[in-house]
Amino acid sequence: MSRWRVCEILCGILLVAWAGSPAFAAGPKVAIVVDAKAPTLERTAGTELAGLLGKLYDADAKVVATIPADETPTIVIGSPATNPALKPLAAGWPKLSDQGHLVRSSKLGNRPVLLVGGGSPVATLWAAYELGHQFGVRYMLYGDVIPEEPAPFRLDGFDILLEPNLKLRTWRTVNDFPIGPESWGLEEEQKFVRQLAKLKYNRVLISVYPWQPFVHFEFEGVAKQSSLLWFGYQYRVDGDAAGRGVFKGAKLFENPDFAGKTAYADRIAAGKRLVGGIIDAAHDLGMTAGISISPLEFPKEFAAVLPGAQSVHQLETLTIGPGPMQKPGDKTLHALAQAQIRGYLDAYPTLDVLYLTLPEFPGWAEHHAEAWKRLAGRSKLGSDITLEKLTEAARNRKTIASGERGVAAFRGNVTALDFLQTLLADPETLKRPGGGQVETVLIDADPALFPVLDRVAPAGAHTLNFIDYTALRSVASRELLADIPTRKIPSSLILTLADDNVGMLPQSSVTALHELTADLRKHGFEGFSTRYWMPGDLDLSAYYLSRSSFDSGATPTQSLHDLVAPLCGEGVVDRVQLVFDHIEQATALIEKNDIGFSFPIPGVVLKHYESGTEVPAWWGEVSAAYLNAMNEAYRANQRSRLEGRSFTLYLARRLDFAFNYMTAMEAVKKAGIAKRAGDKETHATQLQAAVDALHDALNAQAAVARSNSDRGVIAVLNEYGYRPLKKELESLEE
Amino acid sequence: MRGETEVGRLPGISRLGLTAPYWRWCLLSPLVVALGAVTAAIGQAQAEDWPQFRGPNASGVSTSTLRLPVEFSFENKVQWQATLGDGVSCPIVSQGRVFATGMADTKKFAIMAFDAADGSAIWRREFDAGKLPRITPPNSHASSTPATDGKRVYAYLSTMGMIAVDAASGKHLWTAPIQQPAYLMDWGAASSPIVHDGMVIFCQDDDLAPMLYAIDAETGKLRWKTERPDMLGGYAVPVICEANGQVDIVVSGTGKLKGYNPKDGSERWTCNSLIRTMMTSPVVRDGIIYISCQSYGDEKRTLKFALLEWLDTNQDGVLTKEEVPPEFRKRFDVSDRDHDGVLKDAELDTAFQSPENMVGGGTTIQAVRGGGQGDVTKTHLLWNLKNTSPSNMVSPLVVGNQLFVVKRGGISSCFDVRNGDTFWKMSRIGNLGDYYSSPVAGDGKIYVTGENGFITVLAQGEKLEVLAKNDMGEPCVATPAIADGRIYIRTREKIFCVAEH
Repeated sequence: MSRWRVCEILCGILLVAWAGSPAFAAGPKVAIVVDAKAPTLERTAGTELAGLLGKLYDADAKVVATIPADETPTIVIGSPATNPALKPLAAGWPKLSDQGHLVRSSKLGNRPVLLVGGGSPVATLWAAYELGHQFGVRYMLYGDVIPEEPAPFRLDGFDILLEPNLKLRTWRTVNDFPIGPESWGLEEEQKFVRQLAKLKYNRVLISVYPWQPFVHFEFEGVAKQSSLLWFGYQYRVDGDAAGRGVFKGAKLFENPDFAGKTAYADRIAAGKRLVGGIIDAAHDLGMTAGISISPLEFPKEFAAVLPGAQSVHQLETLTIGPGPMQKPGDKTLHALAQAQIRGYLDAYPTLDVLYLTLPEFPGWAEHHAEAWKRLAGRSKLGSDITLEKLTEAARNRKTIASGERGVAAFRGNVTALDFLQTLLADPETLKRPGGGQVETVLIDADPALFPVLDRVAPAGAHTLNFIDYTALRSVASRELLADIPTRKIPSSLILTLADDNVGMLPQSSVTALHELTADLRKHGFEGFSTRYWMPGDLDLSAYYLSRSSFDSGATPTQSLHDLVAPLCGEGVVDRVQLVFDHIEQATALIEKNDIGFSFPIPGVVLKHYESGTEVPAWWGEVSAAYLNAMNEAYRANQRSRLEGRSFTLYLARRLDFAFNYMTAMEAVKKAGIAKRAGDKETHATQLQAAVDALHDALNAQAAVARSNSDRGVIAVLNEYGYRPLKKELESLEE
Repeated sequence: MRGETEVGRLPGISRLGLTAPYWRWCLLSPLVVALGAVTAAIGQAQAEDWPQFRGPNASGVSTSTLRLPVEFSFENKVQWQATLGDGVSCPIVSQGRVFATGMADTKKFAIMAFDAADGSAIWRREFDAGKLPRITPPNSHASSTPATDGKRVYAYLSTMGMIAVDAASGKHLWTAPIQQPAYLMDWGAASSPIVHDGMVIFCQDDDLAPMLYAIDAETGKLRWKTERPDMLGGYAVPVICEANGQVDIVVSGTGKLKGYNPKDGSERWTCNSLIRTMMTSPVVRDGIIYISCQSYGDEKRTLKFALLEWLDTNQDGVLTKEEVPPEFRKRFDVSDRDHDGVLKDAELDTAFQSPENMVGGGTTIQAVRGGGQGDVTKTHLLWNLKNTSPSNMVSPLVVGNQLFVVKRGGISSCFDVRNGDTFWKMSRIGNLGDYYSSPVAGDGKIYVTGENGFITVLAQGEKLEVLAKNDMGEPCVATPAIADGRIYIRTREKIFCVAEH
């Protein structure tokens, strides 16, 4: 190689290095001061902020350990306890809780200095994200949106101090169904957790079921063998599946972390990597992590060691639970339940909290009377609280679980609580591998037990409570919230953002969430935990909960404005408001008239074909609401700034999906009626219309699918709708 | 010039098996240059070219007699495949090379050349795309199909203009600036050039400054440009029509099919028989121009109605300046004749649509005799069908006596080119979904590409006969190319070459 050539290459390298250095940035120079010994999360706050300022203002933002001697605009990260550089600026530093954080302008001589700090390292991280929010960054569940034209860069004029009014902001993940995060791989989970941290959620709850591949344990010679996802159903996406482009040629819809893994050991290993990875991701960002399990439900292979166990019938029969032969004091049951819990605690030694779910459909009620006696005795319940009174309360409430179903649920709860009190009192049950006991939260205690929850719950447990399947229905029974003695037992409420029964259609319930969060504050709840399956439609709900948790004056309308205006531009806000108004209207109609309308299970489409009933009038109202919402979303998209369009276009195409779905279901119903009437021509015409509309629906969904939940909807509806309808049409044509 | 990069100049394997970068190697020896010229000439004589969108004169018809495959897929009968990056532009073929464009990433535009025989990369040229404009999916920034005269490849990118690179080496030769288009509905650019008589002809009908350009193919200098002020956004590719002793550049657009003199771009004739939005391209055969298109709404639906439906954000029946895309705000000021800050009533009618051309939507399939002068609407329109069969995106295919159209849902129709009589109408080809790609034909077969990535093969004839439905594995918007018994299929990310052998 010639010397000239060498020289040419070196010059090139130098030029590239210079151009790539932050010093080449065209924006303001900013010093971000983080103490050299600062906690990791404060260092993360510094680097995150430097990155945001670079993206927003092309700023030359450098993280440094001390305040520069020159007049460089400076941001100081941390608190007086963690950053000595703050000491000369700390006059008037407020008393902050461990979640309190501030963004406050100050001066050092003539130099503007911005204090970004909190009462703990994670609170400082939130303060950094808050500053990004103030500059116009919006942390969407799908990623950050950086405004192309942000508010002018400034370090003066900030005086923000935030303390939470709901201290525990939990986001649930994994759970069940391919339309939910059960279909997400670790990469998608990690990305999601990063967004949650920016929205100041502080706990991730990993909801798992006994048949899933997230734990292995053995008991009395029986080894767990179940390792199913989404109840073991398979979803073919090959051939001419509608919307198939999103599957990139795959034959089956899969969680990417389990793709091609069929052996039990491989699936368990993948499952442990996934759940362990979620826990690590949460911890890295200052969040706590919990796993929720059903302590009284076991994979069906354990029937051999629990004689008389009863099968639990949900979508499939995959598990067993205690039967009449097992009394709450049954030693085998105790040991089996302990083995299962220990399986989780040993697999995930850094887990912060174990959530124990009382059975949703309890069948273990035979021993409730004697269980109540023990429970009442141990809990020192007064004579005014009787089994009969509580039974009547369960029978007469307004929620779905009322009447005999309510009574059965209550009795099952009583038996299970008696059992759990004993089980958890055993020091071996909750022992962490590294020592100490894991914290517990009791989920889904029967509302009839709310008034005595502090006494019947296992010692030291917190509670996470469920009122009804949707936020709107929960509002209808909101008086139950007042029954929970939250000042005696820290309690949270499950907030349904979108319900799996209402299903795959776009849902919004932010107005109801607003009412429920107001109640939570009023009644002294420590927080909430979200319930949803598809995250795509939930940015507004997630944002509202994030902001209102630190600002009790936040309203859905104001939150929508604050979310959408920096994202899409002022002119778009009113249209997006209309979009969500229409979606709320559709959601309310569906949950009122047929809560299981698009529940993602076998028969979700063909049930309409087989029903033989006329198209109900409310379908037309739902259809019109989605159509109106879609048109508004397209208008919003047309007007939106470029950076906001992934939000507005997603809404528009999801609503396009919804409208076409309704069109398809109407045609399916009419086809079914024509079939019964022997009207072959109408039968074929309507079937064709149904196939066309469902194809269009899934194509619309595919056009904007960005999570594996979105792809899961396409997979489910190909399996349960598009393919069988097409087959029916083809057989008719033949 | 924006930053451009030559990436991985791979040892090209020519049709003669010559290794090393062919063009560079040729420069080394006059003897080799001579040899190269001879072999290229042989190759040219033997090879069928498909040098632009839909091949020769945008016909979509291969004239080769070589057998084309009926059944194939992304894993069956694939001679080669390559990754191109996101794009909806079509591949083209010339002298044994296949040229394609794609987005190398979100900021880089690439032009690529492959050996048609084995798919080996001959060269790849990347350009910094600059700040890319708003577009509406499924459009891509790599949307324009390049054209070639065998010497150079001409590719268009909205942020750069027309780019010419050497066909053999990929060397960047020139860039001719073209005003970046603007669309009221943010569709984005998707017009494609053709090459005619030493000129790159490019029609860009946008909503702001629609124009027909003729650029010198060798130098990149503008030869002429002709304003088309009465046009709205559309994507018709110009076609060449020889009829009545004259050669015309024929372009379909809003309400009008026009013939231009290639020498100077002057308008020779107009046939005022079309509809509002023309996204399809005409086809010429034997001096007759065939058009099919659908434009949203009926004949009363002028642009104003679309504006009030989609741009009038607050639905108050008038347009404010903020409701109009930024590129159109000067036009807004001019149109706001009473200076009250809003466009309303009559102002709205003509703010963006020419008062001389207030056509509405609808459908049309028609045949127009070429070679006219002046207004030929009453004299040259041979037949005109107004049925629901045409697509707004898919151009017609004229092959044999048939004019074939297909639209969303895989609904096909076929008419007699001689008189518009129906062979079949609104019959399904068995593949649902959207259709953007235009059908192509060869070896007695018609290839119909669905957006879902299935290519349905039909027998060419007067009855609908489905021969096969072939899975290309990923979404497909581009129109395939056919040359020498091979079909080149560009999916959203890749190119496949399929053939019997």
